[in-house]
Amino acid sequence: MSDHALFKRVAIGTIAVWLLLFAFAPNLMVVIASFLTRGESEFLVWTPTTDAYARMLDPLYLHVFWNSFYLSAMTTLLCLVIGYPFAYLIARANPAVRPYLLLLVIIPFWTSSLVRTYAMIVILNTNGLLNTLLQSLGLIDEPLELLYTDGAVIAGLVYTLLPFMVLPLYAAIEKLDWRLVEAARDLGARKVRTFASVIIPLTSPGIVAGCMLVFLPGLGMFYVADFLGGSKTTLIGNLIQRQFLSARDWPFGSAASVTLTIVMGLMIGLYLLAAKRANAKVEV
Amino acid sequence: MNRLPTLARLGALLLALLSSLACAPARAADERTLVLYNWAEYMPRPVLKQFTKETGIKVRYSTYDNNEAMFAKLKAVEASGGYDLVVPSSYYVTRMRAAGMLRPLDKDRLPNLKNLDPRLLDKPYDPGNAYSVPYLWGASGIAVDSARIDPATVTSWADLWKPEYRGRLMLLDDLREVFGIALKLDGRSINSRDPDEIRAAYEKLLELRPNVKVFNAESPKSVLLSGEVRIGQIYNGEAWMAEQANPKIRFVIPKEGPLLWVDNLVIPKSARHVEEAHAFIDFVLRPEIAKQIAEEVGYTTPNLAARALLAKKVRDSRTAYPSDADLERGEFQTDVGDALPLYEQYWSKLKAAR
Repeated sequence: MSDHALFKRVAIGTIAVWLLLFAFAPNLMVVIASFLTRGESEFLVWTPTTDAYARMLDPLYLHVFWNSFYLSAMTTLLCLVIGYPFAYLIARANPAVRPYLLLLVIIPFWTSSLVRTYAMIVILNTNGLLNTLLQSLGLIDEPLELLYTDGAVIAGLVYTLLPFMVLPLYAAIEKLDWRLVEAARDLGARKVRTFASVIIPLTSPGIVAGCMLVFLPGLGMFYVADFLGGSKTTLIGNLIQRQFLSARDWPFGSAASVTLTIVMGLMIGLYLLAAKRANAKVEV
Repeated sequence: MNRLPTLARLGALLLALLSSLACAPARAADERTLVLYNWAEYMPRPVLKQFTKETGIKVRYSTYDNNEAMFAKLKAVEASGGYDLVVPSSYYVTRMRAAGMLRPLDKDRLPNLKNLDPRLLDKPYDPGNAYSVPYLWGASGIAVDSARIDPATVTSWADLWKPEYRGRLMLLDDLREVFGIALKLDGRSINSRDPDEIRAAYEKLLELRPNVKVFNAESPKSVLLSGEVRIGQIYNGEAWMAEQANPKIRFVIPKEGPLLWVDNLVIPKSARHVEEAHAFIDFVLRPEIAKQIAEEVGYTTPNLAARALLAKKVRDSRTAYPSDADLERGEFQTDVGDALPLYEQYWSKLKAAR
């Protein structure tokens, strides 16, 4: 057997074992735990039940899910509105500066998002940078109450997740065949029409990818809601974390986690479907 | 060569690797060591160094930031015996004792126990301190920014409900602490397991909810110092640090009494170095060591001899060292067992309420 084939087998084998041990097995344990009963001195008691799932139907937890989806959807929308022109400008910039512009998008990644969230606190504080600036410019008399609001949470999420929107959009816009845009213009389409009927459909895989990359992590980033929202909103992430770390209710935490995984799985399925359709359209 | 055996061989290799890792602590057990598992930022390094220097016992130190995480880890290594000394909060002492996870202390080996404040010994979470020795403790009360609120108007937990504090209040992000306030005001135990009492407490807290601007348990002092809130529930240790940074901050112990917690040194039943663990407990109970710990960590020491060594400003402060009367009225947290998921459910509801 050649060295190459051996390397291939070892590489694939290692990854397979890794995934089996550290992704599949733990997830399987979570699924199993979700059907067991909470115990007092042990974490789980081997009494099978679907209780945990029945409890998920409580309006309280539906509210928690709804809240998470709402915040995440708002974040996604804002990221798209800000990210699209942003990506467009980078993609249309002089090819010599493009790598540097992209580098600027990526640089914030080098700092932990936890640290960046703390930095947002310093900016949004009552005596923070923003209020001080607005006051010294004479625009406001009293400091604005910015921190510990839903607005602060969304601002934090948008700030953290924006690069995940910009990068796939950039990739899609950069690949765009500009001859098609020129053709549209030659055929008399106005700017808005060209944008709506040509550019958007052609970059839709990038739009969908960006939205997924922002929306899905947005559901889980509970620490942003804790720090910037003052821990007042319970998101799915908080709910799961608390079942394990304070309520000692592993079955319920597991059930919430499985539900979230299923919902996310469905969304990724929708994405793949949409991407396939978009590709089919382009080929036609 | 087909595919499956390669996978199987790789798997075997990985397992062998993992089991050799798992054996590593067992081999190290032969020399005199102590495996200490403590809260993060809860033990000054020089204390550990001095202990090793004096006794020749090596200390292996790891940390956690959550009682539940500590409990889970301890459970996981119960059979092989990983840790010799851990530092659970009072209500976890109850729980671990009930689960048979703790080893009774040999008090003949702990002559320095005499230094401890008798007010903090023999509490309901561990009668007679058969299993636990207080390490650091604290009380939660109310901090007030006297520049904006007259501290004389705040004397009771009920004052937090005043309508003028709408959107200006901080509560600790800890369900036991927050429910403790309402239970105490109702004249119940903060350790109630009665569903009706817990529901009544929840309903009371629902009325408090519009006042809450932020829940924070990590660093309540920074929220207060940033001017974001003007009144809030806070641990006395945090309040003491806030007072040092801003003299306008005042700490009030409500007349219904504070909620009390104690972190305790305990030896797990599975410990392998029991003698070393006792030696370490007694070392930490020495006045000058306990003083060093209290000064470095910033919380209140239960060690009277150590307190006498502290700067006068610190030891006479009612914030850092609540009075006898305060302690008398306070209540210590114990485990609530089966009632915990119910608390958690109401806690989620409370947070979701607008």
